[in-house]
Amino acid sequence: MDMQFTDVGGVTKAVLGGRLDSFSVGEVETRFVANIVPKEQPAVVDLSDVSFIASLGIRMLIGTARALQRSNARFAMFGANDSVMEIIETTSLTEIIPVVGTEAEALAVVTA
Amino acid sequence: MSEAEQTRIITVARDLDLVPGDRLHCLELVDCVDRDRRHVVGPLGLKVGRTPPADIVLRDSEISRSHCLVTIDDGQLMVADLGSTNGTYVDGVKVEGVVPLPVGSILQIGKRSLQHEYRTRAEIAESDELDRELQKASAYIQALLPPPLPDGPIRCDWTLVPCARLGGDAFGYGQLSDDLFVAYLIDVAGHGAGAAMLAVAVMSQLRQRNLPDTDMRSPAAVLTTINRLYQMEDQADLYFTMWYGVYDARSRELRYAAAGHHAAFLVPPDRSQVIAAGNRNVIIGAKPDATFTEATVEVPLGASMYVFSDGVFEIVDKAGRQWSIADFERLILEPRVDGISETERLFQAVREAATPGPLDDDFSLLVAQFD
Repeated sequence: MDMQFTDVGGVTKAVLGGRLDSFSVGEVETRFVANIVPKEQPAVVDLSDVSFIASLGIRMLIGTARALQRSNARFAMFGANDSVMEIIETTSLTEIIPVVGTEAEALAVVTA
Repeated sequence: MSEAEQTRIITVARDLDLVPGDRLHCLELVDCVDRDRRHVVGPLGLKVGRTPPADIVLRDSEISRSHCLVTIDDGQLMVADLGSTNGTYVDGVKVEGVVPLPVGSILQIGKRSLQHEYRTRAEIAESDELDRELQKASAYIQALLPPPLPDGPIRCDWTLVPCARLGGDAFGYGQLSDDLFVAYLIDVAGHGAGAAMLAVAVMSQLRQRNLPDTDMRSPAAVLTTINRLYQMEDQADLYFTMWYGVYDARSRELRYAAAGHHAAFLVPPDRSQVIAAGNRNVIIGAKPDATFTEATVEVPLGASMYVFSDGVFEIVDKAGRQWSIADFERLILEPRVDGISETERLFQAVREAATPGPLDDDFSLLVAQFD
């Protein structure tokens, strides 16, 4: 699983790539959380290059969103392909984390 | 002294007693809790095969009688395929000639996987104790699952294969009243002791058919109560998905609700189509004030109902393609096979399609057949 972090005008942007399966979550979760939560600022996650999300991956995303919420910072995701979107919709993850089409929309959601 | 008066003293040496040194190379089956899951590799090496005289006998039709040989060479574990039909793999790479089997790597043959561990005798003793405890825990979970129902107007069968020694799936079924039959499945995110304990807690509560102030005939009401009782912050940040359905034998109506869970499938006897019994609700534990909805569908005469966890279809096949639920739907519609149960047919088909080694997630499938 590939991960990159940048700062876009006070918003943490994480770019994930590959499979977010049970094995890779164990490898990346600590780094993912450590690069987002302590900054206590809004964050967006680019899912464009993510091919699969397992239940533990969803748990990682929910946990991060909830931790940010405690700092009154918002969290959103964007760019999911059709198969990842199917997983997101089945779990109704959108009721907990906004999932939009583009980076611009995601930035608008977390900075509104 | 007559033969009857003789006392025979038989001593049985454990394999680890025969190997010198404090640290021992071990091959450990990763997908079971059997007491004999650990095999110590001695100076003569170990042969793995489907039948004796192999040192490690694994009853699996995809494993050849004499499949591969593991030896120690200059302190390092090596493996050679013995001309097996289906090949030997180390961490997914097919073995050609003699190759190293590094500590921590996975040796895959047929459907079975063995991990190379390099342990001290003290670690082995400690691990044996842990294995015994895990075996008890696994047996306890199995004991909570309902027995198959081979006869009657609703026949049920199931297959549960955890991907780790303790899984996070649980399910149940039975009569709510003379006319109402309930079935449910819980899939806790992850596996291991934490997930298993949560799955058992929820399953035990549902088995009692007695949630506080809840009409157990209403799937939406049941999910609402379960969600209120099992919020993530109170459950070590674990969440779960769930499907709950109630079948009314008088009206042939199935009332159901899914919380973050995919649909269950109804299949008529002619196997012409699947009828999805699913709706969209948030996962259990992530939103305390969530409201849950339910829906209904008519059950065709003689239909079968398939309720399953995502581990049944979220596999990567041998061509490297990620499966979706549509792939499993295709498998379901294939003809039943005489001589094996429907759940076993589907497990074998999924196992056959998936890459070698244990499945990534728990495989839980229950099939109910209605008159």
